[in-house]
Amino acid sequence: MATYEKHHAWSILLRLFHWMFALSIVFLVVTGFYINNPWTNTMIEGSASFPMATMRFMHYIAAYTFSAAVAIRLFLYIFGNAQERVWDILPISGRNLNNLKMTLLNYSYISDEHDSRLGHNIMAGTSYLITFVIALTMILSGFFMLYPEATFWQGWGVKVFGSQQSARFIHHILMWWFMIFPVIHIYLCIWNDCKGPEGLISSIFTGVKFKHKA
Amino acid sequence: MADTVNKTLDPQLDRRGFLKGCTMAAAALGLSDAMIPKLVEAAATAERPRVIWLHFQECTGCTESLLRASHPDLARLILDIISLDYHETIMAAAGHQAEHNLQETVNNHPFILVVEGAIPTKDGGIYCKIAGKTAMDILAEVAPKASAIIAIGTCAAFGGVQAASPNPTGAVGVQDLVSGKPIINIPGCPPNPIAFLGTVLHYLTFKRLPALDSLNRPLFAYGRRIHDHCERRAHFDEGRFVEQYGDEFHKLGYCLYKVGCKGPETFNSCPAVRFNDVDVWPVSVGHGCVGCSEPNFWDTMTPFYERLPMVKIPGAGIVDNADKIGKTVLGATAAAVGIHAAVGIGKRIITGKKSEE
Repeated sequence: MATYEKHHAWSILLRLFHWMFALSIVFLVVTGFYINNPWTNTMIEGSASFPMATMRFMHYIAAYTFSAAVAIRLFLYIFGNAQERVWDILPISGRNLNNLKMTLLNYSYISDEHDSRLGHNIMAGTSYLITFVIALTMILSGFFMLYPEATFWQGWGVKVFGSQQSARFIHHILMWWFMIFPVIHIYLCIWNDCKGPEGLISSIFTGVKFKHKA
Repeated sequence: MADTVNKTLDPQLDRRGFLKGCTMAAAALGLSDAMIPKLVEAAATAERPRVIWLHFQECTGCTESLLRASHPDLARLILDIISLDYHETIMAAAGHQAEHNLQETVNNHPFILVVEGAIPTKDGGIYCKIAGKTAMDILAEVAPKASAIIAIGTCAAFGGVQAASPNPTGAVGVQDLVSGKPIINIPGCPPNPIAFLGTVLHYLTFKRLPALDSLNRPLFAYGRRIHDHCERRAHFDEGRFVEQYGDEFHKLGYCLYKVGCKGPETFNSCPAVRFNDVDVWPVSVGHGCVGCSEPNFWDTMTPFYERLPMVKIPGAGIVDNADKIGKTVLGATAAAVGIHAAVGIGKRIITGKKSEE
């Protein structure tokens, strides 16, 4: 029987970021679909119901939560602990590139060897970094659409996206990433948890991972 | 003293019509009524600014909408407060005489340049020629000498339908070719004549151009989003939509969002100023906004009866709705995840290996 010891991997701030991010995405996707193509029709005037206004309100609250979560992640990429900093997952150093190669081989069942790390493996870390950049684009396009007449957002928005409609189009297409990504993310978390009992899933609640005692 | 009894202007333009036109422009500009006398004075002054109006790749719809405004005083006012030295649709001169007038003004007088229509640039600009010269050459000759340039209509501002993908003639707007001159865009297909009149009167009264947005459109006309000032907005917030043209909800005047109205992404004064003095604009008569005053609207606002443009994947020849493609990719991802899991389980059964403990 192998012996395991506790390692503190994720700060409370990172766990807060994760759940703010995850929950806001659920709300954003559902309300976003409604805003794009409302599936209800009130039909009666004077019904005192405001489905579109309500959905948009929820979308904006979730959007501010989402933006706050991304701001937290940006802070942690620079000032977080060793596992949370961006240098730990950037596929540029030899050590990280080797981890990326080993992870790919391991995930495709070619090799049983596992370059174990306390933090993210490089494949996961890189996909989170891509998600982070996409999230920034969503925030930029979102605020551009939310404050279309504000000089600040219009100035940036027109330069980056060209027009409101282009921003909306990009916002809508990138939204699909936030539906496709969780499918892979949740699957690989379960897959990893089945393979090695390091407590991967519980670590995002407790911040603690288990490693073999050396 | 302002010539408000009109001794020098068009005799058909009476004092009442003249003041009405100036007041409309003042209202459109958002000026206080205390400014109206200044506007009147500027409009009635004897020194009428010279204007050269160049037509390139266009349909003359902008000129037509200006001249055929139901309110005759408006067109007359515009044509009377400026000296239109060259305008291919309405000038009396023809042939060499017309070209001579153009040269005379360009070389000897300060003038405002108005451009209508896009400028083709492909193959040396041969796709639009006037008097044996390409549109590019004419613009390069006239623009540097203008004191200000007004690009009227979406074609002159952003290229318009000529510049729609694949843009066979390489058409561009004025701002893509001219630099170092104040350029003011008055896009629309066609734009509201009030936006043009307001800009000209602002220039005459204050000797400078009105405040512009980041696309060089005057803020007094293009500073607000159509959706936020639409008379059907309440139906949007309360979730009452037209499901298809001609249905019961369409007859009741509900929101046109679901049939592709582009009001939420378009900046213009249509809901406030409206057209033709009979208080109509597309949405008020039951058709969604098509976003005609936005850049690249032929590419980004089409299909006009859908919310978003189609996704084009070059190479694969795929042109489809974003959500259909999204669902396909999501389905493929789920399938890949399933296969990955099955391979893992299969491998474990074959090798008989347990997970590490």
